[in-house]
Amino acid sequence: MNKLWSAGRLTYAALAVSALLSVFPIYWMFVVASRSSDAMGQIPPPVTPGGNLGANIARLFDNTDAYFLTGLINSAIVAVTVTVSVVFFSTLAGFAFAKLRLRGRNGLLLVIIATMMIPTQLGVIPLYLLMTKLNWNDRLPAVIVPALVTGFGVFMMRQYASQAVSTELIEAARMDGCGTARIYWNVVLPALRPAAAVLGLLTFMTTWNDFLWPYAVLNDPENPTVQLSLRALSDGYYQDMSQVFTGTAIATLPLLLVFVLFGRQIIGGIMEGAVKA
Amino acid sequence: MAVQLDALPPVTPTERSTARPPRRYRLSRLDDKYSPYLYIAPFFLLFGVFGAYPLAYTFWVSLHDWDLLAAEHPFVGGENYTRLLADPDFWHSVVNTLGIFVISTVPQLFAALWLASLLNRRLRARTTWRMAVLVPNVTSTAAVAIVFGVLFGRQFGMINWLLDLVGVDAIDWKSNRFASWVAISAMVDWRWTGYNALIFLAAMQAIPRDLYESAAIDGASRARQFWKITVPLLKPTIIFAVIVSTIGGLQLFTEPRMFHSGTNPIRGGPLRESQTMTMYMFENAFAPHYNFGYGSAVAWLLFALIAIVAAINVVILRRLGGTDGPTRVRRPRKERTR
Amino acid sequence: MGVFPRRRLAAVALVAATALLTTAGCGGDEPAEGGPVTLTVDVFGQMGYQELYQEYMAAHPDVKIVERGTGGNLDEYSPKLTQWLAAGKGAGDVVAIEEGLLVEYKANPQNFVNLLDHGAAELKGNFLDWKWNQALTADGKQLIGLGTDVGGMAMCYRSDLFAKAGLPTQRDEVSKLWPTWQDYVATGEKFKAANTGAAFLDSATNIFNTIVLQTAGNAQGYHYYDTANNLVVDSNPAVRQAWDTTMDILDSGLSGKYGSWSEEWVSAFKQAKFATIACPAWMTGVIEGNAGPAAKGKWDIAQVPGNGGNWGGSFLAVPKQSKHQAEAIELAKFLTSAKGQIGAFKAKGPLPSNPQALDDPAIVDSKNAYFSDAPVGKIFAAGAKSLKPVYMGPKNQAVRTEVENAVRTVDLGQRSPEQAWTDAVNNAKKAAAK
Repeated sequence: MNKLWSAGRLTYAALAVSALLSVFPIYWMFVVASRSSDAMGQIPPPVTPGGNLGANIARLFDNTDAYFLTGLINSAIVAVTVTVSVVFFSTLAGFAFAKLRLRGRNGLLLVIIATMMIPTQLGVIPLYLLMTKLNWNDRLPAVIVPALVTGFGVFMMRQYASQAVSTELIEAARMDGCGTARIYWNVVLPALRPAAAVLGLLTFMTTWNDFLWPYAVLNDPENPTVQLSLRALSDGYYQDMSQVFTGTAIATLPLLLVFVLFGRQIIGGIMEGAVKA
Repeated sequence: MAVQLDALPPVTPTERSTARPPRRYRLSRLDDKYSPYLYIAPFFLLFGVFGAYPLAYTFWVSLHDWDLLAAEHPFVGGENYTRLLADPDFWHSVVNTLGIFVISTVPQLFAALWLASLLNRRLRARTTWRMAVLVPNVTSTAAVAIVFGVLFGRQFGMINWLLDLVGVDAIDWKSNRFASWVAISAMVDWRWTGYNALIFLAAMQAIPRDLYESAAIDGASRARQFWKITVPLLKPTIIFAVIVSTIGGLQLFTEPRMFHSGTNPIRGGPLRESQTMTMYMFENAFAPHYNFGYGSAVAWLLFALIAIVAAINVVILRRLGGTDGPTRVRRPRKERTR
Repeated sequence: MGVFPRRRLAAVALVAATALLTTAGCGGDEPAEGGPVTLTVDVFGQMGYQELYQEYMAAHPDVKIVERGTGGNLDEYSPKLTQWLAAGKGAGDVVAIEEGLLVEYKANPQNFVNLLDHGAAELKGNFLDWKWNQALTADGKQLIGLGTDVGGMAMCYRSDLFAKAGLPTQRDEVSKLWPTWQDYVATGEKFKAANTGAAFLDSATNIFNTIVLQTAGNAQGYHYYDTANNLVVDSNPAVRQAWDTTMDILDSGLSGKYGSWSEEWVSAFKQAKFATIACPAWMTGVIEGNAGPAAKGKWDIAQVPGNGGNWGGSFLAVPKQSKHQAEAIELAKFLTSAKGQIGAFKAKGPLPSNPQALDDPAIVDSKNAYFSDAPVGKIFAAGAKSLKPVYMGPKNQAVRTEVENAVRTVDLGQRSPEQAWTDAVNNAKKAAAK
């Protein structure tokens, strides 16, 4: 037996330190969120939770200037819409690329891979001008529509579909007279489900976190995403830091929830994606 | 990023020769012929409008004196580019971006490798450990940047307080250039080390264990096995991780933007200590200058920089493609991911 | 005048729902003619209009008023306004414009309703002359906005820290400590010698801005740009004089180096880490918001060193893109009337630009409980009518940013005063040319 795989006390200690470093900033976010705003700037800094979380949350939602609740709702709308759309279009296109006769397949696939290299920043200025023309400035479609498909999603689903969808099953379904749409729905989608779920989770988290583009295009303080509400809270003429931290904690909570519930799948997805790419 | 374009042959419908194909069959022929294009159309359509068009249009805008507020946008050719290339603030932001990129990526990759090798051992509560190191990756970037901004405060920050306990003078993390790079890199690494560790872990698990067994029989130490077997076999994955970090790292915006608070945070400090290229683009394209032409030129040079760095990566990839490690680099298999 | 207006959750939910519906139903769409009209007012900081809206809505049942941007900072607000104006939509029906940015907006007067076409001329007597003139275009034919407040200057200080340092704490005695900025430095040195654990002032930029506006106001009446819009940062002696005074203050080690408006600055308020801060009238609301209820009665207000000066103050304008111009103009007139300005002053402290309001007992006799019952009416209103305004040129905000950043680099010890001055001049030129 090679001792390369044995985990001694030192291994656990090192892992524990890593885990502590990983978790501490998140923990501390909740610590400050649970204290009164006088805790800001205290030396030594507080490291244990206080009893003000409820009051801070109430004050945060009472603070009509931050539109925090609107931000949460908007982010939920945006993230859910984008997630459903990305999963749908990506599985569809991934299926077509992996399993259907498509002229110029390789060329098109290369285009899709190339799109993954394009920095989002490159599009900010023209997209802004485009949204002005479409009259979408300050409105949610401006952040939803450009995100409805991603090259990453199509590519990931294509890679997965090549291996996970059985060609024989498709053949059999075709013999039974199934059209391509039925095959997609009855054969391909069920087979893709695990990968599609991971894609969905990753998309949800990315969209929820998106900052640059909403920052550029959503200027109406009454209609922010949750990340923009946070910016509004932290950039005010005067700041209530416990409220800011309560905001950061609440904005992080849905992601943590998703992570706790589906952590195993997310980890599996990331690791599998790594071997496939 | 090894992409196999011809993984599987496409499904061909079986040829049936009938004199008069039934109607259903004709429909099905149409279905076979056109629905694949229909399925990939949404991507290309949406990408065309919101991806490709803006790409070209950015270039068009960059050739104009395009003041957002002005009614006229006169064509100026390459003037924005010549001005930009002579603009010290621009080069300052390039150096910042590359500096932050290097001091975040290098330690991150080593830490991730090390963490992956720890996670690759026979652990109790394996999933819990994996989740613990991945959790930073699922937090909200803007939120965490605010938290780090406070942790790295000069006078009231926890980091400086800890340093003070061990006798180190307060560091001005926000207006000392190198210190601000370190602080922002810490933020980036905090988020991405665990993620990369899991990717490396996946690749490590795909390495046949008998390689190690024979090495162990030859008396190779643990460290030697790591450097002589693990790392060479991981090279494609490492390069993949580097490329992904390159694309992400060179675009860095949210972390440095939210790290700074107070007056004009878009500058990244009074002397632009940690202003990245994207922040510089933003400063010029939006407040206070609203010069879309100039901002677009910054965007294109950012793109060029990413392309250059990615190309360097590819060159390295090519070079490492030959026999370099003890065995030829093979694509890892997928079954070993758990 | 609580800092965070307390409302029930239900009300918030309702507002949120309304916002969502507005979004879904295509932003900017308004109900058909005859229905109630919703007027959006875009502001930054604290204009103090909440109660006035209630009153106005009660008198005009067909008007509903929504304020956006409350508490936000100018650096965030003004770009948004600029983008809305450029896009031709998105701006409120009434928008606040800060004086430092007014010139930029005046460069495109077509974006705004000419208030002279809507009976504003007869209101001229309701504003300090210079305040009125600031909003006129160069040809005098268009009035962009109506003045709201002016930024009369004072010096706010923490009397508890002064006591700790063995300095006088009564505001009149404190005022006598610093007739000039040199005296202010001398007082600061005494304070510093007492080792209270707090700095004498917050940071360099606010004090510099105060001094430069005061010096320029008392001299030619312009600072970074002359009245012909030439950039004169390097040749205007008023700027250089203010610079040198500020450098003296920094040289004596009086600054706490808490970058204005940053989270460290806010924490320093909370932890009582500095004793004085330059205090235009509107700053009182900021101090109260940041220092919080725990510091009530610990702050007080004295005269500003030197002689007067004006920092800040805003205007209300009606963008041409508004679909309810007539109603918006009426509202702007109401908010800038003597009554409106008195209401705002009482709520959040911005000092009226309306001479009648300045004479009103409601202002003259007013006291601020948070600041140890300081007679803010007397302190601020007394000098308001003799305020000497400073002309602000086309890229004023961008130039000011550069100069202030240079000041900050000295404050933080990154640059020597001479290096920083070179930076200020060069970067200001560059910013003005962009």
